[in-house]
Order: sequence, then structure tokens, then C-alpha cells
Amino acid sequence: MIELRLYLQGEGQDAERIRDLLSREGFRLMESSEDGSEARSVVGFDADLSSGSHREPLLRRIEELERTILELRNLDVAKSQFLTNVSHELRTPLTAIVTYGEILRDGLLGEVSPRQREAIESMINSCRQLLSMIEEILTYARTNARAITLQPTPFDLEEVVGHVYEMNASLIRQKNLHYRAEVGSGLPPVWADRDKVIHVLGNLIGNAIDFTPSEGGVHVTARRAPEDPRWVQVTVSDTGIGIDPEHHEMIFQEFAQVDASRARMHHGTGLGLAIARKFVQLHGGKIWVDSELGAGSRFSFTLPSVEAQETLGAA
Amino acid sequence: MSEGRGGRTVLLVEDNEAIRNAFTILLEESGYRTLSAASGRAAIDTAERELPGLVILDLGLPDMNGLDVARHLRGNAATREMPILALTGRALEVDQEACMAAGCTGYLTKPIDTEQLLGVIESYLGARE
Repeated sequence: MIELRLYLQGEGQDAERIRDLLSREGFRLMESSEDGSEARSVVGFDADLSSGSHREPLLRRIEELERTILELRNLDVAKSQFLTNVSHELRTPLTAIVTYGEILRDGLLGEVSPRQREAIESMINSCRQLLSMIEEILTYARTNARAITLQPTPFDLEEVVGHVYEMNASLIRQKNLHYRAEVGSGLPPVWADRDKVIHVLGNLIGNAIDFTPSEGGVHVTARRAPEDPRWVQVTVSDTGIGIDPEHHEMIFQEFAQVDASRARMHHGTGLGLAIARKFVQLHGGKIWVDSELGAGSRFSFTLPSVEAQETLGAA
Repeated sequence: MSEGRGGRTVLLVEDNEAIRNAFTILLEESGYRTLSAASGRAAIDTAERELPGLVILDLGLPDMNGLDVARHLRGNAATREMPILALTGRALEVDQEACMAAGCTGYLTKPIDTEQLLGVIESYLGARE
């Protein structure tokens, strides 16, 4: 006699479905609370696999489940492929609109009045906003469609922080924000994928600008991580609207926006932080937020320095 | 024209008609001559026949990979030295190293900033007339 004992852990609804399924297949079900955790629902069962009446349905069911898993995986790849194609198709005409807008704005097809120029400029800015959202969806689809590989090199954060500032300088000026960056002297170079770090930092600084009212402050620091000095901790803090602690986990999830009014006020796909977290985790680092409603936000992430890399390499 | 157009002629390789036309207006109004191609095959034929001074190459073409167009032009003695400016989506899409390895001389990511584009073209072909 072979005894199979299976404990299922998960949301109540899933456990319920599996319980039904197993009952239909003729298994004797036992409730168990050995785990002691109230958050999880646990279902256990014993089955005598030597008896044909249990063995056949179980094997059939396993095969079915395997097929379902394969179908779902294929569907997920197809979904990512679809997102990639749609994003590409959306981006192409938008690129044409931006280019035509710039041709008109720069007076290549005839002189434009200051008010016309202003109107064209608004059109171009809106298109660029739309394009950056499409880029974000595209990046997300790519990070899901296949494993992305890092191309790490050693580089100084100071230069990258300056680069991301330059990318956002006009927005910072427009809102008259007080921007300050402090990269600790003697900070070792990080060992990371430069493009991805720019993406993460760009996202955090972009959010800080979006969610901070005019005249507010945005502050970027980089220093050795307190819990392991061979890692570098980058922090972007702002004096903006802040985030309720109950939403701190949710904002790193795909397609999450704290509430619809915020989404309307602050454009965005809800993918930025999910992508940022993915990129940071690929480096073995972590990303988190400290914030209270109305008290500004402080986002931090860690990256390995070349010193951590040497240790990893030696291990 | 056996020596080719060279000089201030730019070959635009882009499959989207609206973008191709926009770039044509932009370049012609800025004092360059333009040729255009909507596919990889047409790009290679035109580049070899007309010998433009610069190729602006969109990497997403319907019939071939843009990088293969660059490799092809590098493999032909007549077009070996021709500067090729690649255009693509964000840096994540095609990695810049692959682009340079295929023989492109420069790289711009979309959406293209027209001032930046004109600046780069100028660096290849000299100041506007």
C-alpha cells in the first residue's frame, strides 16, 4: 500500500475547488490545521494508490492538469507577444505625429505664430507622454515574454544620477522643484546593468516629480547599504502627497494604481514600479518604500557594488 | 552618376510611409537630398546603385532584419565605408552593441528628436547649406 499525503496551501477558493475535485475522484479528505496559520487553508488526503479505482482517475487528472498548465503557459507567451505587437503598432503612427509636429513647430513648412507654436508644443508633449506609456507596456511585455539577461559593468552612480537628472531637468524646472543629489564620496562603483539602473532611477525620480506639488523637494542619495556595506543603497525622497502604508505592497504590483482619481491626475500605466522591482531583483537587490499619506515618500533600492561582486565571484 | 550621389544625399530606410514622408520633409527642408526605401531589399539596391552619403536605417523592416541590411552593406566594397545611422525603439529592444557589431556607425532611439537627428546628420555630412 502506498500512501500519498498531500497538503495544499493557498487561497480559500482554490483549496475549495481542489477539495471538490478530490471528493469527486473518490478521495477521503481530512482537514488539517497542523500548520497553525489562520491565513492559509490546508487540505490533506490519504489515498491507497495500489487500488486501481484510485490510481487511474488520479493519473488521468494529473495528465489533465499538466495539459492545462502547458496551455496557460502558451497563452501567457501569446499575451506577451500580443502586447509587443500592439505596442509596436501604436508607437509607429505616434512617432510620425511627433515628427510632423516638430517640423511644424520649427517652422520648416512656414512661419508659425507664438500661440500656434504653443499649441503644437502641447500636442507634441502629449504624444511623447503616450509614447512613454507605450514603451512601458512594451518593456513589461518583454520582461515577461522571456528571461531578460543583465549586462553588468562597473560604473559610478554619480554620473548615472546626473544623467537621469538631465532627462528630467525641464520637468523639475517647470514645477520649480528643489532638486538635490548626494552621492557619497568614496562610494565604490556599482556592478550593474547601466540601462536598467537608469530605467529604475528614471521611474522613481519621474514618480517623485509627478506626485510632488510645485515648489516641493526631490532628493536623491546614494550611500553604502547599512546592512551590508558592500551593497549600495539609492534613495529617492520627495515632499509629495505620500502613500498610505496599506498600499505599500500593492504599488509594486502590475497594473496597480492606488486609486482611480490619482490615475487620472497622474498619467501612467501602473507598470513602472513593477518593472523597477523586476530589474532590481534581477540584480539580487531589493526595493521598498517608506511613506505616510501627506508626508512625502522615500523609495529605496539596493545594488551590488564591485566589492560585493568580487565576493560573489570568489564564492 | 557612376560615382554615386554621395555628399549630401541621405537614404531613408523606413517601412512606415508617414514617418518616411515626415523625415523626407525634415531633411529636404534642412538642405539635404533624400532617397527612400520601404524594405530591406530596396534599401540594399538603392544604396548600391546611388551610393548616398548616409543611410538612416529603421531596424524594424518587413522583409529583413535591419541589422542584416547593415551587414550586407558592410560586406560590399562599394558601400563598406558608408555611414549607417540605426533607428530603433528603446535601448532594451535591440542592444546597442549588436547594432555596432553589425556595422552601424551610429544609433538613435525612437521617438526621434528632430533637432538631435539633424545634429547627428550634420556631424556625418557637414553643416546645412
